[in-house]
Amino acid sequence: MARAILVFNKKVIKEYPFDKDNMTIGRNEGNDIAIDNLAVSGLHARIDKTEDTYILTDLQSTNGTFVNDKRITSHRLQHKDKIIVGKHLLFFALSKEEQAKVKDTELDRTMILDTARQKDLLAKQAEKKGMEVPIKKEKIGVISFIDGSDQGEIQLTKKLTKIGKAETSEIRLGGLLMPPTAATISRRPNGYAITTTGGKTVKVNNQAIQESHFLKDFDTIEIGSCKFQFYTQESEDEK
Amino acid sequence: MKLTAAGLSDVGLKRGSNEDYFVMDTSTNLYIVADGMGGHLAGEIASKIAANTIQKNVNHWITKNSPEDELFDFPDSTLSRRGNYILSGIRLANRVIYEMSREYAEYKGMGTTIVVLAIMHSAVIAANVGDSRIYLIRGNMIEPLSKEHNMVTEQLEMGLISKEEAETSPLRHILTRNLGSSDTVDADIFEVEPMNNDRFLLCTDGLTDHVSDDEILRIIRNGDDPEHLCQQLVSEANERGGNDNISVSLIFVDRLDGERQGLLKRFWYFFKK
Repeated sequence: MARAILVFNKKVIKEYPFDKDNMTIGRNEGNDIAIDNLAVSGLHARIDKTEDTYILTDLQSTNGTFVNDKRITSHRLQHKDKIIVGKHLLFFALSKEEQAKVKDTELDRTMILDTARQKDLLAKQAEKKGMEVPIKKEKIGVISFIDGSDQGEIQLTKKLTKIGKAETSEIRLGGLLMPPTAATISRRPNGYAITTTGGKTVKVNNQAIQESHFLKDFDTIEIGSCKFQFYTQESEDEK
Repeated sequence: MKLTAAGLSDVGLKRGSNEDYFVMDTSTNLYIVADGMGGHLAGEIASKIAANTIQKNVNHWITKNSPEDELFDFPDSTLSRRGNYILSGIRLANRVIYEMSREYAEYKGMGTTIVVLAIMHSAVIAANVGDSRIYLIRGNMIEPLSKEHNMVTEQLEMGLISKEEAETSPLRHILTRNLGSSDTVDADIFEVEPMNNDRFLLCTDGLTDHVSDDEILRIIRNGDDPEHLCQQLVSEANERGGNDNISVSLIFVDRLDGERQGLLKRFWYFFKK
């Protein structure tokens, strides 16, 4: 079992065995490691245990948390790390068995965090930054026809939306020389991109595009005589 | 359509075993890379089971042209049918690994990341869970087709940390999703239109921890033989420490036009040959 040894004025005050999945450090009495000193925030920092790894996170304390003289926001604790909280020093030590396993962890072994704790960690961090806990909302693209046709608005819910004459197209366009698929719009990690596919000129903001082009809000797109505008809106459902 | 592909998996310089695994199926143009985790042999087994389960089931559904409602779990209406095959294959693989890790003590805690790429004339489907990645290299641009499921990415998206902090954060290797740790899983899936000369890279974090996106782009633009380029990417990661297993798979797309466009182009290709 790992231990945290509390030191003040070069004297060991107390030793805390790490017998839980997480331990809090702060001035308030409810903390697992309670340090009665004004330089320490009420809830100052915490240490989370994931498998064999201990992670120290500063909970946006007033005076900060330091490890080996460096200010940290989050830090993976190593054997013999010196944590400074206010004027107190916490010496972190692994057990013999844990030290033996360190070889593995030193190599930044990948591990999985359970979702409940992850949400908790993120929420705490946001709270301390004075932010509302953000709810991740997905932005969804919308195509709005501005050529007087009766198609109105179409939400780009599909990952890949086909635009053209073909019956299988999500957005069907008419016109004599319209190819079965004139363009596609795909939803990618970096946003929505339009790609020309049918050899017919596709213009974005009056400029013919080569291959593919990332769309910005209120870009106008022209394919033949069809003209529409792209924009994004927040989707209703939470991610 | 002509595809040229190569794959390479290397143990790196620091690890005792290789827990990565990759599959290249040229019959259905399905490419998979997995990075296993878990003690003893569990990581190796997890990545192998995941890749093989996905390959086997997706191929089966393709052959039978199975409708969406015959797949494992509910289909996703934002995806094409092939996209749903892959989503379903990933969910099934997750369930298999999850059940195994609960059933047998030696597999406790095993899991794996996964990246899957399927290439067809009509669309390229890219799916991922965890921190392995898929890149599209088109012209002089490199673009991710995967999302990383780790703490740092979430912190970054929520504006809690800066990009610089993210690169050195100790939370980099803490995944928020993988295959095997929970009874259900969500994959991120993207579908894009393929273009001639597109190059796709699937890789594990053994590469991306050492080599930046720009450097990857430079290496891949600088050659035409996928096999040789795979070796170059692996060597680059090893030269910089080789802290983890390194797996890469490169697929080059060519001659799409012949099938997608009119007769005239097909004649043109015929004469060129």
